[in-house]
Amino acid sequence: MIRPIILLVFAWLCGSMCPGAQAEDQPQPSPRSGLEILFQSAQQSVVKLYGAGGMKGLESYQSGIAIGDGNTILTSWSTVLDVEKVRVVTHDGRRLDAEVIGVDPECELALLKLENSKLPGFQLDPALEARPGQRVFSITNLFGIAAGNEACSYQKGVVMAIANLQSKFSGLRSVYRGKVIVVDVMTNNPGAAGGALIDLQGRLVGLVGKELRDQQSGIWINYSIPVDVLVASVQRIQSGKTRNANTATLAKNPHKTADLGLVLIPNVIPKTPAFVDQVRSDSLAQKSGVLPNDLILMINDQRIDSQKSLQQVLLGIERSDSFQILLQRGTELIRTQVRP
Amino acid sequence: MVRGQDPQDALQPSAAPVPAAQVLEAQQQRIEAMRKASLATVGVFGTDSQGGGSGVCISPDGYVLTNFHVSSPFGHRMRCGMNDGKMYEAVVAGIDPTGDLAVLKMYGRDDFPTASIGDSDAIRVGQWCFAAGNPFVLATNLQPTVTYGLISGVRRYQYPSGTILEYSDCIQTDASINPGNSGGPLFNANGELIGINGRCSFEKRGRVNVGVGYAISIKQAMNFYGNLRSGRIVDHATLGFTVATDNQGKVVVSNILESSDAYRRGLRFGDEVLKLGDRDIATANQLKNVLGIYPDFWRVPLRFRNEQGVQDTAIRLQSLHQPGELDKIVEGSSERGRQPPGKPTPPDPKDPPADQTEPDKPAKTSKDPLADRYVARKGFGNYYFNRWELDRILSLQEPKKPQLPTSGNQDPKRIQFTGQVLGEPTTVQAVFDPEKIHWTLGDKTESVSLKNGWSPRIQKQEPLPIAIALRLWYQWHEQGPRALGETTYIGKSPVLGKQDLLDDTRIVLGEITAHVYTSSLSGDIELIELYTDRQTDPAEVYFEYAPEASLQRLPSKIRLQYGLETRLAIELTGLESQAFVSPASDAGVQP
Repeated sequence: MIRPIILLVFAWLCGSMCPGAQAEDQPQPSPRSGLEILFQSAQQSVVKLYGAGGMKGLESYQSGIAIGDGNTILTSWSTVLDVEKVRVVTHDGRRLDAEVIGVDPECELALLKLENSKLPGFQLDPALEARPGQRVFSITNLFGIAAGNEACSYQKGVVMAIANLQSKFSGLRSVYRGKVIVVDVMTNNPGAAGGALIDLQGRLVGLVGKELRDQQSGIWINYSIPVDVLVASVQRIQSGKTRNANTATLAKNPHKTADLGLVLIPNVIPKTPAFVDQVRSDSLAQKSGVLPNDLILMINDQRIDSQKSLQQVLLGIERSDSFQILLQRGTELIRTQVRP
Repeated sequence: MVRGQDPQDALQPSAAPVPAAQVLEAQQQRIEAMRKASLATVGVFGTDSQGGGSGVCISPDGYVLTNFHVSSPFGHRMRCGMNDGKMYEAVVAGIDPTGDLAVLKMYGRDDFPTASIGDSDAIRVGQWCFAAGNPFVLATNLQPTVTYGLISGVRRYQYPSGTILEYSDCIQTDASINPGNSGGPLFNANGELIGINGRCSFEKRGRVNVGVGYAISIKQAMNFYGNLRSGRIVDHATLGFTVATDNQGKVVVSNILESSDAYRRGLRFGDEVLKLGDRDIATANQLKNVLGIYPDFWRVPLRFRNEQGVQDTAIRLQSLHQPGELDKIVEGSSERGRQPPGKPTPPDPKDPPADQTEPDKPAKTSKDPLADRYVARKGFGNYYFNRWELDRILSLQEPKKPQLPTSGNQDPKRIQFTGQVLGEPTTVQAVFDPEKIHWTLGDKTESVSLKNGWSPRIQKQEPLPIAIALRLWYQWHEQGPRALGETTYIGKSPVLGKQDLLDDTRIVLGEITAHVYTSSLSGDIELIELYTDRQTDPAEVYFEYAPEASLQRLPSKIRLQYGLETRLAIELTGLESQAFVSPASDAGVQP
């Protein structure tokens, strides 16, 4: 069942792209093949992102794609985004500043806002499903190879499977466990997360995921998150279910981390993550199941991107009110309720 | 599955779709391109047939391009396996430790299959390509492994990673490049050679392919090939100035050495750099990228903009490394290669490190059939090839050598060139005898010693250096260059106004250094440059030969140039030789 598709795809490829199939008498330079034109247009929607990191194996760069009107960037949610402004470098070398407007912790996706980017955005069509055997291409800034106006890197591949990233029986440690497009080529390299996976018509079929290695076999998995998952996630973020910390309404008698029994790691940089260092015994936090080394991601669907934003969010909750807290423990996401 | 097709049908063998004729034709073309390309692909092994990398043969007499990091662990001797299933003995010729290139020479045939050289400037992202080589040393039957992929990026720059190896202006491909592919060829879909595979991004994935391989462009490799055949340790270039991107996005000169050729050609701080070589410059990175493809001392076009407008000029590049610096690096890397970790081996007396052998003596490796094809010397990968190349360019002239005057051929001689200034009645004379060089322009005659006093004449940009160059021209043909001073074949270099690269030979003549550029076809001397040092413009003396008009093969026109300005052009009318009578011995009979 797969073979006919491959053959058809291959026929299309060879018919329009193999130099052998081009007219022999064309003057130099040879006319651009279908694939060259496709890449040239698709790469305009892929951006290079720069932010936090640069040490201990954590890259300070990744990839992203412009969607819709081009002023929204969809990318992987990672430590690279833990900065006030994320630097976006466009295909034509422009350097723009973007703000994270929301994240989806379960899909590990984030949306960034740009002003007047003039980028052509990919249209997200949830009906566009990748199929096993399909020819696909990734466009990413893997290894940070491209800088300024240099084009991102292209890789060719074939969809091997559509599967869930289940980690129950495997050695995969991923926060995102949903549906993915598995490809036969090493797309998920450092810096590639957030890049585009496109089909032969240049349409977006997936977003390249974070690096992922099976702990048991040591094998690196190369996958992208399919469009239908992206669309649902973008809707969730845009509908405001996950909001940035907002201090519009201050509680008269708010919660404080010390009263909750939470001791966070030392707050040394502007965006120190809300990592739990200690939990006092018999405290509210302990009763809610918070453990040392947990990372606080959200409180009542408000995104916590730093200790500062945690304090701000807590200032808006009355001490007598309960609230929901989303924690990351290793690769697990844990939701719990703090009940005074 | 094809939409609308009955799944049951698709499972029937009889319903298997027949590939379109176009597909089969494209496949056939691909098979043919790979077959042809495989013929020239070389597996590089140690003399014990162990270890190895890849290479590609580019000349029927067996010159192979590979990576420096492939050849260096083997020292100077290796074996090359080819697609015909045979192993050929090989030696290293020249090496380029900065650009990671080496040239090897195979022996055993004079009709080695060669790769056809493609145009790496014409390749674009999205085109198909394939690599051939010896990944994981799989090719025990010496048939290369072929991997197919896309051009993922062009004009990439890869910083030196802990070494001096710098990959500039390179080609990025997702065709699998694995350990062992190093040094091997990257071909375009037509089977033309477009690059030398050399490096991959691995990081935490271990040393296996992650879909990111880099190839040195064949343009860069061929720029260096002529120099590599000289057997030298060749160097890359610096400009003598640095650039930065200003707030308007212009690439402007941020620092410039007053001793640089660019400064002498008028480039100043703050000028905007527009073009180097044939490449437009839009970013500071691009300039660094383009610079990497040129060997040191090449003269390349430069376009810049200053207050007066756009200026076109040509600048000589400087060496990237200090003299002797590369020798130390090469020494270090070949020692590392010879001693695998944990297995220190005592130095083999038969295989001395390059710098310890006495100059000009073949390394005496017992029973090695190629023992006489290796000569160690400081500054060289293999000095044997320097001598060989110099012999080659001298032999080019054998069929139609200039006929030097024979009358009065008794020693001592007085040689006299006569001519006149082009387009003027002014006569010129260049005379040299065993005591002095005399130069006459119109009614003014001046003389210099045969050995010194030349530098001030060049520094002051006087016309007399024409006489020095004419004497060198004469002696080159009469005695051969080796009799004149320390002679080194440099390689192939561009000369302004010439389409092809010319053979470049350096002769140290006491206080000055001459570069003699000869035609790679006829061996005729086309240019002699006389340098006092690299901080001053040399005297450039260009020779023109009337096409086959003169049976004597003497130059018809001679032009002296400093910088980019012609100082004097003359037409040569005669060359005579007379018996020399010393004015000193005449003194007694003069009234």
